[in-house]
Amino acid sequence: MKKHPRLLSLFLFLGLFIFVIVPFIPLILSSLSFGWRWPDVFPQAWSLRAWEYVVNDGRTWQAVGISLWIALVVTSVNILLAVPAANALVRYRVRGRWLFEAIIFAPIIIPPFISVMGIHLSFLRFGLTETVLGVVLAHIAPTLPYLFRAVMISYQTLSVDWEDQARMLGAGAVPRFFHVVLPHLLPGILAGASLSVLISLSQYLITFIIGAGQVVTLPILLFPFISGGDPSVASAYSLLYAAIAIAALAGMDAALKRYYQTNRASQQEKGENA
Amino acid sequence: MSDLRIIDIEKRYRTAEPKGGASSFMLRPVRLTIREGEFFSLLGPSGCGKTTLLKMVAGLLEADGGEVWVGDENLTDVPPESRKFAMVFQQSLLFPHKTIEDNVAFGLKMQKVGKKQRLKAAADMLEHVGLSGFGSRYPDELSGGQQQRVALARALVANPRVLLMDEPFSALDPGLREEMRELLSRIQKEFRVTVLFVTHDRDEAFALSDRIAVMGEGQLRQVGTARQLYERPETTAVAAFLGLKNILSGTVNNGRFTSSDKTLETAVNGELADGDYFLVIRPESIRAAEGDRPGQVSIKGTVQEMTYGRGMYSLKVKAGSQLLECAFTTFQAEKTAVGEPIELLVDMKEAWFVKE
Amino acid sequence: MWQKTKPYLLLLPAAATIILLFFGGIFDGLLKSFGYFPAIGETGFSVAAYDRLLSSSSFWESMALTLRVAALSSLLSAIIGAFIAVALFFLNDSIERTSPKPWHRLFQLPLTIPHLVAGYIMVLLFMQSGFLSRLLAAMGWIDEITDFPVLVNDPFGWGIIFAYAWKEAPFVTLMLYPVLSRIHGSWREVSRVFGAGHWQFIREIVVPVMMPAWAIATFIVFVFTFSAFEVPYLLGVTYPSVLPVYSYQLYTSGTLSDRPEALAVNVILAAITILLGLVAYYFSKRWNVLKGWG
Repeated sequence: MKKHPRLLSLFLFLGLFIFVIVPFIPLILSSLSFGWRWPDVFPQAWSLRAWEYVVNDGRTWQAVGISLWIALVVTSVNILLAVPAANALVRYRVRGRWLFEAIIFAPIIIPPFISVMGIHLSFLRFGLTETVLGVVLAHIAPTLPYLFRAVMISYQTLSVDWEDQARMLGAGAVPRFFHVVLPHLLPGILAGASLSVLISLSQYLITFIIGAGQVVTLPILLFPFISGGDPSVASAYSLLYAAIAIAALAGMDAALKRYYQTNRASQQEKGENA
Repeated sequence: MSDLRIIDIEKRYRTAEPKGGASSFMLRPVRLTIREGEFFSLLGPSGCGKTTLLKMVAGLLEADGGEVWVGDENLTDVPPESRKFAMVFQQSLLFPHKTIEDNVAFGLKMQKVGKKQRLKAAADMLEHVGLSGFGSRYPDELSGGQQQRVALARALVANPRVLLMDEPFSALDPGLREEMRELLSRIQKEFRVTVLFVTHDRDEAFALSDRIAVMGEGQLRQVGTARQLYERPETTAVAAFLGLKNILSGTVNNGRFTSSDKTLETAVNGELADGDYFLVIRPESIRAAEGDRPGQVSIKGTVQEMTYGRGMYSLKVKAGSQLLECAFTTFQAEKTAVGEPIELLVDMKEAWFVKE
Repeated sequence: MWQKTKPYLLLLPAAATIILLFFGGIFDGLLKSFGYFPAIGETGFSVAAYDRLLSSSSFWESMALTLRVAALSSLLSAIIGAFIAVALFFLNDSIERTSPKPWHRLFQLPLTIPHLVAGYIMVLLFMQSGFLSRLLAAMGWIDEITDFPVLVNDPFGWGIIFAYAWKEAPFVTLMLYPVLSRIHGSWREVSRVFGAGHWQFIREIVVPVMMPAWAIATFIVFVFTFSAFEVPYLLGVTYPSVLPVYSYQLYTSGTLSDRPEALAVNVILAAITILLGLVAYYFSKRWNVLKGWG
């Protein structure tokens, strides 16, 4: 009885591994190759040439910086927009709530490039094309719904009693928000922010239309290489791009964990002292 | 004197009909004065409006009319955070991301008391509730009873003018509940704090309160000490809620009361106008007959049920159409058994007539 | 008064931002698709762009390709995603959940990879001189590059389908796994008592429990792949192209006067996605699958 599931587990695990990990192998090999001719499974010569090119090119780090900066600004704006809106929809009786929900969730369903193509000329008129500000504005619609949803779920799990309790202890609106509401929302905000950052990082088309090639984020920099450029450099750029996306997510995740762990740690420390 | 005065506070349902029928009130106007340092309970079944009243006194719920005063200060339009009240809820509602001492010190922090001073006050208060040494822990490491003690300490630390409590012990185990009652009683006397306490538990209200307001169906029914309420209920509704089940309907005619099923007929002490009455007989004022005694009335019936509890037997005796509940000593109860006929004596000095 | 208007004031910034930046753009596009285009001196309304579009064969070919690619991608994602979910379920079940976290991180990896990178991964894997072709050659199954079928930048759209299957299957898994984990070990024991084997257990309990979430997840993948741009732009051919790419080609290649047609494609795309979205929303509410999705 025991042997059979173990063998099955091995096969299942192997299957998962092949599906998830193996596709990365040619990408890694290609980035390290120096001329990789068919039908060789492994390159004959290894080289760090592509990586040197990527790392030493000033545009790379500029693109990384701009991508992260845009993602950060977009996400911060989203937090400022989403928290009050989620508060209103969860805590108050709002007439036409379905309409508000439909409006805010619409960009999940309707692809944002449709709106961006429509608004392109207006952006041009206001001088927003080719600017980081324009790209930030274009990134808000596709990312806001995810953050809004995460904050809304957090709000739903926070009973009004907590705020009432804080009021009865003399806390006005501002201390109430910072001492009671925000600590409760923080995990939800961080989870939503990760999604917002990830989605902002992966926008190609709308960045291209609004940025018009002047706002060079990672996908904009990457595209010419992967659509027929030097495969080694394209692979190195792809890996870097993926790594930045994963690192951004992992960073958020670590921040979340640390938030919980500092609670634990400081408490244990104090416990030992006492 | 800073008594808490509740003057005609009322609450209507949102969907009140324009004519405003009897059912449009969530809470009919309430007028109460709670003396400084008094332990006052609002007692009633769930949905009777007691929590609504409490939240309006707290300011968490907006009243549709009426005023709340403490001393000569009108608090009606003062927001809850500025009333200098404190409240303990059914759940302890300790802030999970703050330590116990930070939780207790929270009210003082809101009053901008310095850190050293407020932590000192918190430690003192934790000692009062028997939790000294727990200050640096987090709420989720404490048991339910301990959490509720912390909630009590947190409410008291800032010297509130009034302490509001909304069924604070109802989520606890029965044994723990009694322990918490004693603690609360002791602390309330020690700090001489005015307490407005909401509960549906009669024993809890009786054990703790100086005075009790019995509420039902969105209005105050009767206010008094536990003994006044129990021995002199003004209505059958109050009597029934306090657990008095022997309520006999009947009429008084020429100074004599006759129950409607004719099982009981007796002279009435004092002067009662002729008319329909209810006779309330407490189980403790019924005994088994051992020869006639003056001033007592006998009822014949059959024992239907006997249950033993806390040194006493509780008997249910069928007499006419009425099922009478009697509290017998073990000695008396051993002389009878289920199914046997029995003659009961009612001490009419202990019996009580109500009109409705 | 303040209490009455307060929630609306709190909602205003978010709603106004979306209305202005998102619906404003859609409305702008809608006007221009009807020929209202003040920038080039057109202020009349006409359905000329739609006329031209609906009578052009390239639009209908594009539509057919888009439907085919979206249908096959979502179907493949659904099958692979369900397989991963069931596999994880059994793995966690037999490994006594010592540390289930790393598994979950691992299978979510493709979700975090940007679409363009996922596309390029498929290029390196499936192109005629790609990794798979090399492996087959090494095993002696093929002799020439041309023996390997054209799977990338092919008119059928295989490359696009593979890329989506790889990236969206973990999404299907993510939607299914919580549903599956509701099937406690005890259920399994109960079914054992009644003599159900592995496959019977899957057929009688696992599949029925998964079905609603599975259908919704597949549908969401369909709606997404129907309207996504990056992957087909990289892995498709110039003609025929999927609708989003077709719209982009019209938008950028021609003159300003070609734009109404591009925007008409967008309006049609938006209409279809809204319709599909409403269908998905309706069924998810009815089956109670997407708690909290609004």
